Amino acid sequence: MSNEQEPATVPEEQQKAAAGADAPGEAPDLLKDSSRRLLFKRAMVGGGAALLGGAGAYGAARVSLEGRPVKDYPLIDETLFKPKDQRDTILNFVSSKALNEKHPERNEQYNRLQNKEFDWVNGFRDMYSKPWDNNKPGYTQMDRALQKAGWEPLNIAGSRLSANLQPDTPFNSWDQSGVEKEQYQFKSKQEASDAIKTAARLFGAVKCGIARRDRRWDYDPLYDIENEKELSWEKDFPFEPKTVIVILLPMDYDCISTAPAWTADGTAADGYTQMGVKATQIATFLHVMGYHAVGAGNDLGSSVPYAIMAGLGEGGRNGHLLAPGMGPRVRIAKVYTDLDFVEYDQPHTWGITEFCLSCGKCADACPSEAIPKLEDENGGYGFQPSYEFSDEPGYTWNNHLGIRKFYSDAKKCYNFWVENGGACSACIASCTFNEPDAWHHWFIMAINPFSPGFLHGLMAEAHPAFGYGHTNDPTKPLKFWKTGEGMRTNIQMKNNIGTSNKS
Amino acid sequence: MEILMGFFLGVLAMMSVMGLAYLSTIIKLEWYTWSSLVTGVIAVLFGIGWLWASFLEGYPQSGSLGLIVFSGAGVFMLVLTWRFLVGPALEHRTKG
Repeated sequence: MSNEQEPATVPEEQQKAAAGADAPGEAPDLLKDSSRRLLFKRAMVGGGAALLGGAGAYGAARVSLEGRPVKDYPLIDETLFKPKDQRDTILNFVSSKALNEKHPERNEQYNRLQNKEFDWVNGFRDMYSKPWDNNKPGYTQMDRALQKAGWEPLNIAGSRLSANLQPDTPFNSWDQSGVEKEQYQFKSKQEASDAIKTAARLFGAVKCGIARRDRRWDYDPLYDIENEKELSWEKDFPFEPKTVIVILLPMDYDCISTAPAWTADGTAADGYTQMGVKATQIATFLHVMGYHAVGAGNDLGSSVPYAIMAGLGEGGRNGHLLAPGMGPRVRIAKVYTDLDFVEYDQPHTWGITEFCLSCGKCADACPSEAIPKLEDENGGYGFQPSYEFSDEPGYTWNNHLGIRKFYSDAKKCYNFWVENGGACSACIASCTFNEPDAWHHWFIMAINPFSPGFLHGLMAEAHPAFGYGHTNDPTKPLKFWKTGEGMRTNIQMKNNIGTSNKS
Repeated sequence: MEILMGFFLGVLAMMSVMGLAYLSTIIKLEWYTWSSLVTGVIAVLFGIGWLWASFLEGYPQSGSLGLIVFSGAGVFMLVLTWRFLVGPALEHRTKG
């Protein structure tokens, strides 16, 4: 057992050779020196082992990042579950005067329980008219300009309400007159899948998955907010969808870091614009291939479960999709199509939801306390909400009950948006999975599925300790407005996927 | 810069391999001593890689803490291993 014995013995002549004690005028023959040969041999073995070890670790990490297929998603409680009426969603409700007049009890109950005097409809209208303060970082004229500029393409296209679930807007039009009569016949399902994902990649998606159309995730009935009219999938929708293509569009790391300042809304608004543009591009791609297709942003169906079904991520405590490598810092667009000769993706796990059970950083960062906390019943994870007042009759009207997940009180979230004068994103910025694009974050992501629960808690604490995920920091908007430095050359070739390296 | 980091870490890794290989030619150590030395070297290199990547992404706090936590633990492990396992063996060899 001792290390102190058995010193390696080196023959005398070899020691001389090693010391260069050959005859004068003769070059020492290093290869004849057995101690040197032994050193080189062992160095080669050690180097080879290091190379193999490194390659093995890299390969294992790549396999881990693929995720593990899951068969038990979704877990549904049939006694609670029913299709979600589009009208019973926050963003739809606050955009509709008729629905507000029809359900005054919703506003009255919220204001009574939360001790507020909140005006739901006018609140949404006035959100972006709150005056700026050029002495308050993140709430200046420049930040307001960024917000409005982000939305403007949707305004020009007449598609702004698509963010509030309005179906059949110009970007996500139901018009199928452009569908070619000749239908392209794919040689295989894999070819179809590859073609769709290639188009999505070209147009700017950071991830793309394909799911079967699932009526459980479609809003039913649909609702035309502009005309205050109920719509039916069978009577009004132009075809019977078989497949839903889901694309993820990145938001800027440095911009989201400024949350809940107006600055962060710049990338969120731009994300909505990109959703409209990319979804309509993929829909048009399918039209010219001879298939019916309709793009969708937040409308038609619930985006998070569709993205999970397409294998793009897992559901998080904050109610967002958490995608490996970006966490919740993505926007989701969908394309409904009747093309069904395609290779479907399936739900995968990376241990993300499991991690959320031990984390809770988004709940701590949420200014409106809308997100369930660790100390809530079952950590806020279950088939129905457990947040404050969720046992009051009718209070959970906005939630889709019966699905095992984390339930947030989106009413409080939206209330804060209006008070803040812009969407918040604090739960995105603070998420432990919201990481810049660098090898060490991918490494943590790769080992996450194999980490025990106590290590998840430790990693959740380490994230802010290492300087990530802080919100409500007035220095962040100042730093963000410097991230344009170096854009003439941009030698990092980084833009809005990871940090711009100026954070 | 990421490529430069990879190159620099590769050089450091090969220097570490050479050092350990040299050690193996002059002294015979137990498996657990080798395990400690290799783990310590990997931890030191991991911390340096973390530091570099964190500075590149603009998070020096992460880099500094990563260096302390990972490389610090590695250096600590190497020092203890050297002090209590490698050092006495070397001393015994010199006296012998």
